[in-house]
Amino acid sequence: MRDKKSNWFSLNLKSSTKRKASPCGCGRTAGSCKGSESPEHKDGFKQVFDVKMGRRKAFKKLTASLLSGAGLVDTSCSLTTGQSAKEKAQIGWEELFKGNYKLMTDAEKRATVQRLTRAYELRTGKTIHMSSKNAEKNVLFGYAFNISKCRGYMNCVAACVKENNQDRKSHMQYIRIHEMEDGKGFKFNEADDNYYHEVPAAGHFYMGTQCFHCDNPPCTKVCPVQATWQEEDGLVVIDYDWCIGCRYCMAACPYDGRRFNWNKPEVPEEEVNKNQHYLGNRLRKKGVMEKCTFCIQRSRAGRNPACVDACPTGARVFGNLLDPDSSIRYVLENKKVFRLKEDLGTEPKFWYYVD
Amino acid sequence: MMHSASRNPCCIIFLLFLFCACKQADTKREKYPTIIDKIQAKSAHYDGVSISSNPYISEETIAVIEKGHHFLIPARKNRVALRTCAICHSKPLPEMRGEGLKRAHWNIDLHHADSKTMRCTTCHDPGNPAQLRSLTGNPIDFNKSYRLCSQCHAEQFEDWAGGAHGKSAGGWAPPRVSMTCVNCHNPHAPRFGSRWPTWYNTRKAVERK
Repeated sequence: MRDKKSNWFSLNLKSSTKRKASPCGCGRTAGSCKGSESPEHKDGFKQVFDVKMGRRKAFKKLTASLLSGAGLVDTSCSLTTGQSAKEKAQIGWEELFKGNYKLMTDAEKRATVQRLTRAYELRTGKTIHMSSKNAEKNVLFGYAFNISKCRGYMNCVAACVKENNQDRKSHMQYIRIHEMEDGKGFKFNEADDNYYHEVPAAGHFYMGTQCFHCDNPPCTKVCPVQATWQEEDGLVVIDYDWCIGCRYCMAACPYDGRRFNWNKPEVPEEEVNKNQHYLGNRLRKKGVMEKCTFCIQRSRAGRNPACVDACPTGARVFGNLLDPDSSIRYVLENKKVFRLKEDLGTEPKFWYYVD
Repeated sequence: MMHSASRNPCCIIFLLFLFCACKQADTKREKYPTIIDKIQAKSAHYDGVSISSNPYISEETIAVIEKGHHFLIPARKNRVALRTCAICHSKPLPEMRGEGLKRAHWNIDLHHADSKTMRCTTCHDPGNPAQLRSLTGNPIDFNKSYRLCSQCHAEQFEDWAGGAHGKSAGGWAPPRVSMTCVNCHNPHAPRFGSRWPTWYNTRKAVERK
């Protein structure tokens, strides 16, 4: 069922058997992917026209290519264009017509990651490491935030921006630290989340918000193209290449956990975090949603999210909710915990506690 | 009359479809009413994970068992310089305060409780500076200095042993590595100071004006 589904949206330009056997997705079954001089390697023109198809299907594909990839086809067909430009066009073409990440098989996931890595190499001459690691068995991620301990230093925000390659131009930040007045409770409308004075300020307390990775997330249900979903380990993720930027999810989230790229995100080349995950901190484009992923590139490898490691006061606890010996379970079982807007039934996996 | 009769089958089919749709949505959402139920059900037969946080442990650690929790803490002994007092303390103190002598631990200012409660020898053994001593005079190893703190800060100690107080020094995956008291708090001045935030969103500040 899954396998059948996985091919729904992919325009299989080469013969399907060949593509399946390829471990990397460049279409070749043997040798390295780098050289593209192989007898069975078709150029862009042949990819489009050397395929057996009906008249209706042919028109459909032609229209699609004209609308979105005319330039790419042009580059691929040209005799004067260099090898790397052709490869770029080939990658661009395959990326354009790939399927939804959620429906991909592991091989397809590896292939798209390999293409994106190669595209970055061709563009900048630098290599990145991108992972497509799936959810680990027996893992459900949870987070706890100690309100008594947070002192508003915002080391977490700085670390998050750096780790997750967030847009420097628009100053995007997933985490917000709210400075609230003592004795007034949680008044988000009166709180200041962009203070700049010595902290902690007298008569105030601090609390952080970010994506809570709800177990019953409203954001995933409203997505018209299923570009956002919940993974097995509880992380709510986004396929940036499938997102159409309608921002329904942003409106559906009761916690203001989602962010939108109004412009092309800019990260200085030397500051790009090269340890990436497809669903995490890989470089985004204009017009897509993004948000905290509990640093999926770190958490799926066994590490703590960047905010947890950066917090100088130990106000942040992260761990596996299914492990009875984990710190997060100790917090849930022994401290007085609560969540924001619990009555909504969104079941956030982000608890607040006090000493 | 005729009208409603002819419409009925349509209604039934529509209702049936609605019911099916709801049913499908229900099965898709797992059978747990709350996240706590889900955690309890799924962790009942927890048998570990395949990843470990060993690659992220950068320093020497020692294993401890406190309050029934097994975990690792960073070793401390190899990071503190210890000398015998008698090397310098050969004369009475007033004579040593004069000029011309090499100064040691002069930069330590004690800001921990008040001077009636705490002084150097409350924690340090004047007879043997290579170790600490408890309130009752029992020796405490530098590697397990948290035992000294736990004499007064019992609540914090309990939370620290469980993982609710303090900071992880590895990853979330087992084995658990927890920083000890002195990895975050300066034992001579344990309170966290006030300072400026690390981050300021200048753009947001402009936009909100």
